[in-house]
Amino acid sequence: MKIGPYDFPDDLYYDREHNWARVDGETVTQGLTSFGQAIAGEILYAEQPRVGREVKQGEALMALESGKWVGRVRAMVSGRVVAANSRLDADSALINKDPYGAGWLVRITLANPEELKQLLRPSDPGFASFIAQERSKYGK
Amino acid sequence: MDLYRLGAVSWQDSQLIYHALPRLALEGLVLLRPASPYVCIGYHQDAMQDVDLDACRAAGIPVFRREVGGGAVYLDGNQLFYQLVLNRDHPLVQGSKEAIYRRLLAPVVAVCRDLGLDAAFKPVNDILVAGRKISGNGAGEIAGSVVLVGNLIVDFDYDAMVRVLRVPDEKFRDKVHKSLRENLTTLRRELPSVPPFEALEDRLVQRFAEALGPLELQPLPEAVQRGAERLLPERTSEGWLLRRGRQAQGRRVRISAGAEVIQRVHKAPGGLIRATYEVREGCLASVDLSGDLFFYPPEGLDALAAALAGIPCQEAEAAIAAFYARHGVESPGVTPADLAALLGG
Repeated sequence: MKIGPYDFPDDLYYDREHNWARVDGETVTQGLTSFGQAIAGEILYAEQPRVGREVKQGEALMALESGKWVGRVRAMVSGRVVAANSRLDADSALINKDPYGAGWLVRITLANPEELKQLLRPSDPGFASFIAQERSKYGK
Repeated sequence: MDLYRLGAVSWQDSQLIYHALPRLALEGLVLLRPASPYVCIGYHQDAMQDVDLDACRAAGIPVFRREVGGGAVYLDGNQLFYQLVLNRDHPLVQGSKEAIYRRLLAPVVAVCRDLGLDAAFKPVNDILVAGRKISGNGAGEIAGSVVLVGNLIVDFDYDAMVRVLRVPDEKFRDKVHKSLRENLTTLRRELPSVPPFEALEDRLVQRFAEALGPLELQPLPEAVQRGAERLLPERTSEGWLLRRGRQAQGRRVRISAGAEVIQRVHKAPGGLIRATYEVREGCLASVDLSGDLFFYPPEGLDALAAALAGIPCQEAEAAIAAFYARHGVESPGVTPADLAALLGG
């Protein structure tokens, strides 16, 4: 789905903090949406989450620094961190340039598939209006 | 909302209290100043790369890593700190970062204007008086709260600031010093007489109350003091300070929203070239070029550097190419594009 200039691939899950999740079997890859990176501005640094760490859905697992602001990224699902995107260490701007591809943030094993029901899908009736509200809130 | 006017506190408490409040899910406005000087680095900085730790150690100046972004700053008791902790659902911290900074810094701008200064907010997070920064600010999310930390600079030790930074060479240090003096000002420099700290705090309280609603003066809760004490061992440990941070290419010191001092090195086929320069509002200023390259005419490199003053960074390559054509420059293996690669701002 495209909303204004922002892409929201139909096969992904989303949360209300502008993260996306791709589910491949028992592994969830998480990143920032195209809208999320736009409101963050140029990402200057992406902290690497510790591989092996157990996280709960909604728990802060890493920090992103952009434009004099340190923001937290929360885990979209509970599970164990199995990979962090080491390319971001040298080039955090990948998050801005390719948010759904090379700019992914973290991979987590999916401990409880039921948690996916708490995430949004572009096909959900309220999804487009939520993004519209957010665009208005952020002037984007 | 609770107001904590703490006066002069230990340098550790001047940082740890605002780290402790969010962990207790408490909101509040804290006003204080550190009793002794220290250096404070941004959350993602690399201490060894950005700060001269040996010089700090020799001078007895501690170094602290905060959980808020930005760069290394020299802090002392001539700066009045305001630290605002708000729940992340608070209406004042909704929307874009620029909007939040503008909203939360409006009281500080108003105080400067109350003092008769021509102050204005400059995005993203600076307050300028006559084009010069008089207040440094940073923000971030800590444990479910949004924290704004900033200072009103009553006086500033420019010499100490440049001594504590790790710099590639003395030329770079001189440029930082000059740029700081030109782009960062103080109440002492701007006012014939500076009100006492208590009077400045009174004004901040009044103006912040207009934005936040009534402020109730409270003693610092014991739980917050204990929270700060719990954080103390880890946050003052070498492990925390020396965490690996952002690895920068070259060296860059941000002076204010519109001014930076930068040094970059580039390996061109014809040799290693280096540029040390200042960027002001997107334009080159005070450029020095050097390197182990052949450059004809011999005095041409200095003349080229001088000719670049005032040129927008993104027009550097065209300006260099024009200079080459005008002066018949020969620099085998070093093209205008190589030199422009150093000057991207």
